[in-house]
Amino acid sequence: MNKRGWLALLALAGLTAFAAAPDYPPVLPGRPLSFPRDHGAHPEYRIEWWYVTGWLDTGSGEPLGFQVTFFRSRPNLAQGQPSRFAPNQLLFAHAALSDPTLGHLLHEQRSARAGFGLAEAETGDTDVHIDDWSLRRGADGPYRIRIGGREMQIDLSLKPTQPVLPQGDGGYSRKGPQAGEASYYYSQPHLEVSGTVARDGRKQGVRGTAWLDHEWSTAMLPKNAVGWDWIGINLDDGGALMAFRIRDGDGRSLWTHASHRRADGGQAAIAGKPVTLAPIRFWRSPRTGARYPVAMHFAAGGLAFDLVPLQDDQELDARSSTGNVYWEGAVTALSGGQPLGRGYMELTGYYLPLGL
Amino acid sequence: MLFSELRTHTARSAMAIVAIAIGVAMAYAVHLINESATGEFERTVRSLMGNADLEIRGTEAGFSESVYPLVARLAEVGTASPSVAVEARLSGRADPLKIVGVDVFRAAAVQPGLIGRPEGGRAGALPLLEDDAIFLSPVALRWLGAKPGDPLHVQVGLETRTLRIRGTLAATGEGLRLGVMDIGAAQSCFERLGMLQQIDLSLRPGTDAEAFRARLSRLLPAGVFVSTPAETVRRSSDLSRAYRVNLTVLALVALFTGAFLVFSSQALAVMRRRGQFALLRVLGLRQGELLRLILAEAALQGALGACLGLGLGYLVAGATLAWAGSDLGAGYFKGVAPQVHFDAAAALLFGLLGLASAVLGSVAPAVEAARASPAQALRAGDEAAAPRGLRSVAPGIVAIAAGAALSFLPPIDDVPIAGYLAIALLLTGGIALVPRLARVLFARLPDSRHVPLHLASTQLSGSPGRAAIGLAGILASFSLMVAMAIMVASFRTSFDQWLTVALPADLYLRAGSAGDTAYFSPADQRNIAATPGLQRVEFQRSLPVSLDPERPPVMLIGRSIDAADPASRLALVGTPRHPRSGEPPPVWVSEAMVDLYGYALGQQVFLPLGGRRVAVTVAGVWRDYARQQGAVVIERQDLARFTGDETANDAALWLLPGSGLAATEQWLRQRLANGDRVVYSSPGEIRARSLKIFDRSFAVTYLLEAVAIVIGLAGIAVSFGGQALARTREFGMLRHIGVSRAQIGAMLALEGALLAMLGVAAGLILGGAVALILVRVVNPQSFHWTMNMSLPWQLISTVAIVLVAASAATATWAGRRAMATGAVRAVREDW
Amino acid sequence: MLVLQGVSKTYPGAASRTVLAGIDLALASGEYVAIMGESGVGKSTLLNLIAGLERPDRGSILFDGQEISALPDDAATLLRRRAMGFVFQAFHVLPHLSVARNVALPLLLNGIGKRRMRERVAAGLAAVGLAGRGESMPRQLSGGELQRVAIARAIVHRPSLLLVDEPTGNLDSDTAGKILRLLRDQLHASGAAGILVTHSLAAARTAERILRLTPTGLEPHADSDREE
Repeated sequence: MNKRGWLALLALAGLTAFAAAPDYPPVLPGRPLSFPRDHGAHPEYRIEWWYVTGWLDTGSGEPLGFQVTFFRSRPNLAQGQPSRFAPNQLLFAHAALSDPTLGHLLHEQRSARAGFGLAEAETGDTDVHIDDWSLRRGADGPYRIRIGGREMQIDLSLKPTQPVLPQGDGGYSRKGPQAGEASYYYSQPHLEVSGTVARDGRKQGVRGTAWLDHEWSTAMLPKNAVGWDWIGINLDDGGALMAFRIRDGDGRSLWTHASHRRADGGQAAIAGKPVTLAPIRFWRSPRTGARYPVAMHFAAGGLAFDLVPLQDDQELDARSSTGNVYWEGAVTALSGGQPLGRGYMELTGYYLPLGL
Repeated sequence: MLFSELRTHTARSAMAIVAIAIGVAMAYAVHLINESATGEFERTVRSLMGNADLEIRGTEAGFSESVYPLVARLAEVGTASPSVAVEARLSGRADPLKIVGVDVFRAAAVQPGLIGRPEGGRAGALPLLEDDAIFLSPVALRWLGAKPGDPLHVQVGLETRTLRIRGTLAATGEGLRLGVMDIGAAQSCFERLGMLQQIDLSLRPGTDAEAFRARLSRLLPAGVFVSTPAETVRRSSDLSRAYRVNLTVLALVALFTGAFLVFSSQALAVMRRRGQFALLRVLGLRQGELLRLILAEAALQGALGACLGLGLGYLVAGATLAWAGSDLGAGYFKGVAPQVHFDAAAALLFGLLGLASAVLGSVAPAVEAARASPAQALRAGDEAAAPRGLRSVAPGIVAIAAGAALSFLPPIDDVPIAGYLAIALLLTGGIALVPRLARVLFARLPDSRHVPLHLASTQLSGSPGRAAIGLAGILASFSLMVAMAIMVASFRTSFDQWLTVALPADLYLRAGSAGDTAYFSPADQRNIAATPGLQRVEFQRSLPVSLDPERPPVMLIGRSIDAADPASRLALVGTPRHPRSGEPPPVWVSEAMVDLYGYALGQQVFLPLGGRRVAVTVAGVWRDYARQQGAVVIERQDLARFTGDETANDAALWLLPGSGLAATEQWLRQRLANGDRVVYSSPGEIRARSLKIFDRSFAVTYLLEAVAIVIGLAGIAVSFGGQALARTREFGMLRHIGVSRAQIGAMLALEGALLAMLGVAAGLILGGAVALILVRVVNPQSFHWTMNMSLPWQLISTVAIVLVAASAATATWAGRRAMATGAVRAVREDW
Repeated sequence: MLVLQGVSKTYPGAASRTVLAGIDLALASGEYVAIMGESGVGKSTLLNLIAGLERPDRGSILFDGQEISALPDDAATLLRRRAMGFVFQAFHVLPHLSVARNVALPLLLNGIGKRRMRERVAAGLAAVGLAGRGESMPRQLSGGELQRVAIARAIVHRPSLLLVDEPTGNLDSDTAGKILRLLRDQLHASGAAGILVTHSLAAARTAERILRLTPTGLEPHADSDREE
């Protein structure tokens, strides 16, 4: 589960965590996920995102991290406005490449109101786009990502190799002590990636492994939350590990959760156990001054490893679109110096706390 | 010697300096006013268009929003930023506020200046999207006297809607009065659903803009055009260009008259100082050195005058802008509150023009003085020799002939350059011919036995060069005055007659006094029609339509017209054409349509209505003083059929005999929903208001007339002042041989009066000719409307009499010195 | 016909300057007197006082028994117009008038009829040797000729007194002699009295009597006494 966009969207929507408008449907347990319907958008909910992260091999030996995110927001305004331009549904997208030879992220973003077929988040199956940025799921399962930025163009196919992984209780994912503080959430780990990445007009063929999160909710964070740490790791043995920790202002955990699906599809006995995500090393951004725990120690239910970033500077400054600054980076899980798997870590709420 | 001359003849030098200063000041002030207005307008357009490479624009009524996705999807388009725009009527305000609805997500890339800055530092896009949020430019805030957080009441139809001022705009032209809303909110609030006014495009790097533009043009529906920001700026400034060119020409006339005054003052100074110059020549000053000395003197005066004039012009421009606005009340730059910016390049130009006119004004007298034989110049009695330059007749005749020929040429780039040149040639030719005319005429004056008259007429006919200077001053100023007076009178009379035809009804209703958001819905129209005591009611719908992307839109007016008798509602020019069965519906076009679009009677033309090209037949041409960019009248039912628009902006009510205006208005106020918002006017009020606006926008010409007269009189004063010095000995001799003081005074007065009479007579002819060119050539070419000549005899004869009298008084006053005892002594060479 | 008694004139101002002091002069009809004097001694002022163009501070000026200094300006002007003629050093012929019109000016002022005016102008021009030159413009004339025009203008209305101020100052000596002779002849012919103001003894000798103007008064010139 991937809380990265929350902070952004909540700030954008000017919401407090507990404030749910009456006409947004609540997130309740006992709603089974149904596919392909739930691959598509859920426009009646306040927020929703499709979040793809992964590691790419360019053939040159240097790995490349990538992140492509589409956010959908239903702001609490323009109700009953008859215009086709009424801002009932807003769409945002971020794309970032993490190249250690560059030393920082290559990042672009898009934002638009839904409408006129120019920017839409379709229901029924995954089909979300803003102009020439799109994420679409084919009928037989593979996703196609197309990003046409100024400095980079990304065109990737992502083929599922494992079944959908519902998070929490069959897709009902608690985020806090209160029953309403939850989201619907499923993941697609171990997506097999192939395609091209072009930078400065140079196109490279790439292959790799990715992780997709799809999550939608109305109000999920506890009100005293300031941010979260999240990881999604494709384990080398075919397992998939997701963990998060909701933090309060003092850095204490308000809520934690972890899930570990083994390669054979069975769930490891990790759910419901306390999760440790402890900083090993900090990095201070020279641009924003924010201090991020870019290397962390993870431990839950007998599983433990260190998270080492692909590069320290994977800070993403999205103040010009969603108004947020966070760290979103490719990480390797190491145990005793031996790699266990690779994935992404997200650190939010380190620049400014929630509710700015 | 240079400075000593200035010091010794401070008054005369001061007058020349002031003349140059006035000329430079007027020219520079007019330039600054024009520049500040167009500059501000350009900055406004630029800030509205931001970084756009191309702009798609239809009429003010807009075009279908379905164009937006079509355009946005084109591969060449980087970002397409759609917007709606209204001139919103505000409750309790005469002037409308331009409100633009933008999609903040699209505008951010193309028009960053239109992104609101929420008050109180709320971050993100959401505060910008609220459906009652409006963000105002600083000028608009000041204009409204409002602050963020205040409500803003706008009138839509006849209803009031309340918006909330949420903050300010990031970066708009400092003079721009503008509000920005979310596009969805604006469409909904102003009932512009489905319509856009504009789409601004930024193109992808490497796109061939011209090729793409051509391709795009073919994709767009009828009446929707693509243009570049530069073209938009040009089109906006085209609207007022004729007006600005006219003003600039008037300013140059002021500079010209200033130069003329310098010429006369220099010519007389040179005459008076011939002895001094001759002495210098005898003492060894070479011709060239003398020439340079005189020109340097003129240049010094010119430089002083120019500096003074630039400062004065700057102050005048500032005061004028503050008082009357940049278009002097003509209404070309609505919503723009420009400020004067010191324009160094123009200052240099106008300063040099002033300097040049001072030097040029001195060239002829200086050459004359330098060439004069010192021996002859030293002889007493030689002061009267006329400058040789004034003796030849041929250049004058050539100039007048060339002027007459030029007046037949068509405009160049929509500006009547040939017409203005014709006027300039006519004036200079007339002035060049006038000394000869004076000699011929005054020589033919009957040989009077009345001593002062005898002396005056012989003096005038005997010294035509001397007389020429004062005469030319009178001629130039009076002919300019006559020309302007006839032009304004013709315009005003024709305008008045036009108003009579244009306002046949007893009572006029307008949905709102300003802006395009107020209208009568079909229900309102039914209510109005149900007014008791009504003989007849007609509704009118006006909407701007773009026929040519290079030109400002024309006004399409849907109103009830009897095709068999259009003259009952329109000021027709020529006979209308009876519609024939089977041909497209008739329209009646204003003269501007004929000039600008080449429409001809009986021609079948196409109008973009409701996104389609609709064929119509030109059934008549009418005179329209309200819309110089063109207007097309169409039967209202035809318009509604083509556009589906059944609303109306205006209603004209004819009352049955016995129904009172006040009672009708009272009834409407009570019975019409929101009847208090309607503006009720009687034809008399409209006429009075229109004429007031007319007079205000022509106020500057009255001012120039006054300046021309003052300069003419100053010319007389300089002329006679100079003569008085040169003729002191003559006066002294006359006193000796028994001419009384009174007789000398009478002689001078008669000289002034005779001169002025000739100047006035010649000025009347010359001014009449200039007026003919103004009325028949310059006005139709500039504003695309014709008018009937009308002579303001009363004004002209009054001014003529005053001028003659003032000229006589000025001459006497200038010569008063000659009647003092000093003159008596001047005849003696010794004590 | 002209009697000056104790006439004094002082010009006011910072450096007040007494030009004439205690002038006595008696001139009989037809008499021609020359007044000599240094530059600045007041010769021109004396003429202005006699012509009624200026007023003396003290003393009286009787012209045909009339006190000129007591006359209002208009009356003095009329007197000049009728009874006096003037010849100046710088001629002062109006450049924009023909010779005939210049000569005719005094006749015009005196309201002489058109026909008589023509006759008398023609006669006047003939008398000064310019017969037939009436339509010439002054700029076509030489200095001597201009002065002849001036003399014709001075006598054309038959004044009883001719006031002549340095008439040969702008002329060469040959011409000057002719002009002086012409003047004397015309005076005799018209029977008018004349006052010739000059600093040239040669010029003065053409008059019947020579007086010398000094800062203290008007004295008979020694030379003239001897000649008499």
